[in-house]
Amino acid sequence: MAKPKVPGMFKGLGITFNTLVDTLKNGAATVQYPHEKESPPVRARGVIALREDNCTSCMLCARSCPDWCIYIEGHKELAPPRRAGGKPRGVNKLDRFDIDYALCMYCGICVEVCPFDALFWSPEYEYSEPKIADLLHDKTKLGEWMETVPEAPELESGALKGKK
Amino acid sequence: MTATTSGQVISDRQQLAYIASQAADARVNVELETEGMTLNIGPQHPATHGTLRIIARLDGEQVIWAEPSAGYMHRGYEKLTEVRSFPQVTALINRIDWLGSFANEVPFILAAEKLMGIEAPPRAQYIRTILFELSRIANVTLFLGDLGVQLGAITPVFFAFRDREYALNLIEAATGGRFHPNFDRIGGLKDDLPKGWIDEAKATMKKMKQFCDTIEDLLFGNEIFQIRTRGIGVIPKDVAMSYGLSGANARASGIDWDLRRDQTLPMAWDKADWKVITHPAGDSFARCWVRLQETREACSIVEQLVDNIPAGPIMAKVPRIVKVPEGEAWVSTENPLGEMGYYVVSKGDTGPFRVKIRSASFNNISITPWLLKGVFVPDIITILASLYFILGDIDR
Repeated sequence: MAKPKVPGMFKGLGITFNTLVDTLKNGAATVQYPHEKESPPVRARGVIALREDNCTSCMLCARSCPDWCIYIEGHKELAPPRRAGGKPRGVNKLDRFDIDYALCMYCGICVEVCPFDALFWSPEYEYSEPKIADLLHDKTKLGEWMETVPEAPELESGALKGKK
Repeated sequence: MTATTSGQVISDRQQLAYIASQAADARVNVELETEGMTLNIGPQHPATHGTLRIIARLDGEQVIWAEPSAGYMHRGYEKLTEVRSFPQVTALINRIDWLGSFANEVPFILAAEKLMGIEAPPRAQYIRTILFELSRIANVTLFLGDLGVQLGAITPVFFAFRDREYALNLIEAATGGRFHPNFDRIGGLKDDLPKGWIDEAKATMKKMKQFCDTIEDLLFGNEIFQIRTRGIGVIPKDVAMSYGLSGANARASGIDWDLRRDQTLPMAWDKADWKVITHPAGDSFARCWVRLQETREACSIVEQLVDNIPAGPIMAKVPRIVKVPEGEAWVSTENPLGEMGYYVVSKGDTGPFRVKIRSASFNNISITPWLLKGVFVPDIITILASLYFILGDIDR
């Protein structure tokens, strides 16, 4: 092998020096987390939000979950008829909808199988707890996450519009 | 209990100690004899990317016998797939080689598609190939940084972790998962690319190419690095073939073999202009060098493909509940670590009946007993680092 003009070690030192100058000029690549925050992309799978009105407790999400971390209980209620003189309707009421984030592996299958658009991904990530039992989010807490759900992003050119 | 001639009773233990001390005295007077020592490298060792244990028998500083002991992280994926449906399996197999997760999904999905007799639309094929190469970049970037740490150079790892973030951000923006995308579906992809992704990808590829130049100057040109890797851990071509090495390890031994080029899959590699990198030397340096060049090639594949993504759907016509017809299929692809293949047996159910996973690292470390014989202790780490395995890929 031919000997290089500049010894490799000095070349390496030059690179680290250039990086030092660059960091002093433009700031570091890292951020100091609790004080500064990086915003995750729109599609990031942070936490699952629940729109309770849409849920019919059909159990599709609970059954398709790979590690069974969704717990659903529900019952049927009779609601007043839509038109006067009609028969009372049967409505599915949700008693319990819990997701255990200590078990969840964030695969997103539940969001995908939901036929009634009741589950959504939110990029929110700050919900760690000192106690592992507190990671079980019930339906009111899952409903609160709904506020953080972003609009679906626009697609790249060439994609079919309005179709998944 | 034995009685001596003097009538004194001594125990077996005392007698053995006496014989041992006599023997030791005799040896010291004649010559210095060395004794072998067994050294356990791992299971918790930073050079093993997880929990691999290497049992090495040493004579002084030299290894006379070594064997890898895998299985500390066995998670039973082959068995788990039998009780999961097809969409659930892709979520699981993300975790086999956790640094290049998207590449794990592709061969499985291709095998399932082969059984169903469908093919993903061209747009999905292009995006799949792009994400496949991005996961290769994310995987090998970590290797290039980690390599320096194994040799005592701390700086490259910070450069690698800084620049790998760009590739991971790109994967996250498209799929929603940094490490576990779970983006591949039978018949296509989960979603299309978000707006602005292609421009971002082009900018990132420029940064990654720059990173390759930086690492080449910083590490590969370094004299200490060259001394530590050149001529160390040489694998000749025929040995590499007989041990079933694949990927960059085989190509560094001069085997011109790349599944991306050598087989026709419904992917877009043939649409881009790139070349297979080989190196004749077969030593640690060659393995590292081949990986560095492959990262450059992967960057150029992505750059070429993002410009020509055809318009159209990203999903073929697939029923909502996927049932794969009866049959057996084998598909393997060139993953970041080597050949990875899935043998899927289906009985016409929603989930596979049996899946055999052929992962690259398991075969790649099978050469260690042959390779480590006769090397010195500090070189063990270099050789293991240059072989580059991920424990999730070995134990599954």
